[in-house]
Amino acid sequence: MQPVLTVENVEAAYRLPNAQEVRAVDGVSLSVMPGEVLGIVGESGCGKSTLASVLAFTARPPLRIKAGTLAFDGQRVPLTESERVPSDWRGRLIALLPQGAMNSLNPTLRIRDFALDVLRAHEPNVDRRVAVERARERLQQLSLPPRVLDSYPHQLSGGMKQRVVAVISTLLNPRILIADEPTSALDVSSQRALVHLLLELLERRIITSVLFISHDLPLLSNVADQIAVMYAGEIVELGATRQIVRTPQHPYTQALIRSTLVPERTIQGRRIEGIPGQPPDLRKPPPGCRFHPRCPHAMERCTRERPPLELIDGGRVACWWVFERLRVVPSREGSDA
Amino acid sequence: MTPFQRYLVTKSAWYLLAFFLAIAANFYLPRLIPGNPVDALVARMAAGGGAEGEALRRIYQHYISEFGLDRPMWEQFLVYLGNLARGDLGTSFSVFPAKVSDLILRALPWTIALQLPAILLGWIIGNALGAIAAYRGGWFDRGAFVSSLFVSSIPYYCLAIMLLYGLAVALPIFPPGGGYSYGRLPTLSWSFFLDALRHYWLPFLSLVLIFIGGQAVGMRSMAIYELNADYVNYARSLGIPDRRIVAYIFRNAMLPQVTGLALSIGSLVGGALITEIVFGYPGIGTLLFSAIRQNDYPLIQGVTLLIVIGILLANYLVDVAYGFIDPRIRAVQAGER
Repeated sequence: MQPVLTVENVEAAYRLPNAQEVRAVDGVSLSVMPGEVLGIVGESGCGKSTLASVLAFTARPPLRIKAGTLAFDGQRVPLTESERVPSDWRGRLIALLPQGAMNSLNPTLRIRDFALDVLRAHEPNVDRRVAVERARERLQQLSLPPRVLDSYPHQLSGGMKQRVVAVISTLLNPRILIADEPTSALDVSSQRALVHLLLELLERRIITSVLFISHDLPLLSNVADQIAVMYAGEIVELGATRQIVRTPQHPYTQALIRSTLVPERTIQGRRIEGIPGQPPDLRKPPPGCRFHPRCPHAMERCTRERPPLELIDGGRVACWWVFERLRVVPSREGSDA
Repeated sequence: MTPFQRYLVTKSAWYLLAFFLAIAANFYLPRLIPGNPVDALVARMAAGGGAEGEALRRIYQHYISEFGLDRPMWEQFLVYLGNLARGDLGTSFSVFPAKVSDLILRALPWTIALQLPAILLGWIIGNALGAIAAYRGGWFDRGAFVSSLFVSSIPYYCLAIMLLYGLAVALPIFPPGGGYSYGRLPTLSWSFFLDALRHYWLPFLSLVLIFIGGQAVGMRSMAIYELNADYVNYARSLGIPDRRIVAYIFRNAMLPQVTGLALSIGSLVGGALITEIVFGYPGIGTLLFSAIRQNDYPLIQGVTLLIVIGILLANYLVDVAYGFIDPRIRAVQAGER
């Protein structure tokens, strides 16, 4: 099976006023299969949302894309030249379900008019009634009353706004939906409704794949087919959800899983451990493996050479300690960084 | 009564109160100026050598009682209010016996014809320029911002004098002053219109340039604030065309700008005092200037009354218009919150 979306070697950095750079995303490659939910997990500041805005083509200064290509159904475009991205890719092929839906709706525009604007942007001749009808159907699926269409955002509750945004993002039947922390501001029952909506849209093939970005590993492990773990702008481990949750390889993934609450009987009474130390300053990331200052297994090599992302047991891991333990010889040489 | 009507009634009551206080101030303030218009009038007669001694004193007494200046202040005020209610603004002292309302009506069309187009055009161009500069960024923004800032910080009279020197003296393209050529009489003819138009350009330019600059600077900073709002990013990720997004930003950044517009229209009457004086334009500004120099109470009061009415009316309209622009304010007005 061919992946729907492949991104290779994405590098993006925020330029500070003093000409320093914060390398928020550094050399990330991933691919998304049709019908798949790919989860991206990591702590705050690891570059998850930056990656989302790069992939949704919404990067704006001070964020600059320094390298990377994006291939969609075999058509490849460089991400560095935003003008070469075909205009109908935004929204129609890749749509963003943004973080913080509270402010994602224009306060002076009725939901009806916004839905119409979104459809018109891609189907200039769409009939007004047809467009509104389509929006109304989708709203009803999320159990929103039709009066929402005539409302302004301030007349909706937080949960309603989040659902409205989910409807708008999927109105164009995008192939890939990039959901950037869509559930973070919601209570658990709204979270559940939103996740169900996404899964249902996937099942009905209205959207082909979802890139689900979250810091909530327990939630992600229920939604995602695959999980990519990001640390300090890099992917450190990638694999099937089961594999990541049950047999994490990378010390960071292990630490991340140890630090989440799991309400299972066998694990009851176990102490929750945190991860010592702080995430690195991305203006001056540590040399070698970026996790080495916080890693319990750090070796001398980790401080010098950057580990490549190697295929291990169907998943991918970037860790010298793992390589040594499993006697893996990296196919690519580690690079000095 | 609906909440919105109640809102209108309370607002109207407040404005009526403000109007009454303004009339009172308008009446007392000119009378606090030391000196007396009759002194000036009689002195001019004496200088002419027509009457002297007892005759002069009789004339003085006659004028004092004719204008009612010998009666107590409160009585004068009541008489003033009574006359005002009948639309009688009194008789000018300096251009005796011309009626104040006639003088104002003669000057008003010139002021309106000069300023209204300058304000409207300057507002539209300035705001569009500011919004586009904020949205496009880069060299366009820098160029537009710096030149707007430069133009808007020149005092009106400086730019007027610079234009006068550049385009009427050094390069005699336009006539240096007046509303129409010497020796012509204002008539409704095609040739008079063309003549007036030639005199119109310089004062018009001096007003419109500064207005564009001021509006563009204000709009740019408002629009930059709006640009960073989540809804802009979201709309962009959905592929909504730039001109639609600029329209969103324009509308949302417009609120303070609408206040600015209404206040400039409201203060239009007294707004271009200096411009009119520099160019010798036969408008309200020139009229007020000469009235002040000659202690012409009724004329000063007439003009300032006009200014007061203009400003109050403009503010009132702004208060009501806000609701139409911003649904959140409409909700407050209608008592929904």
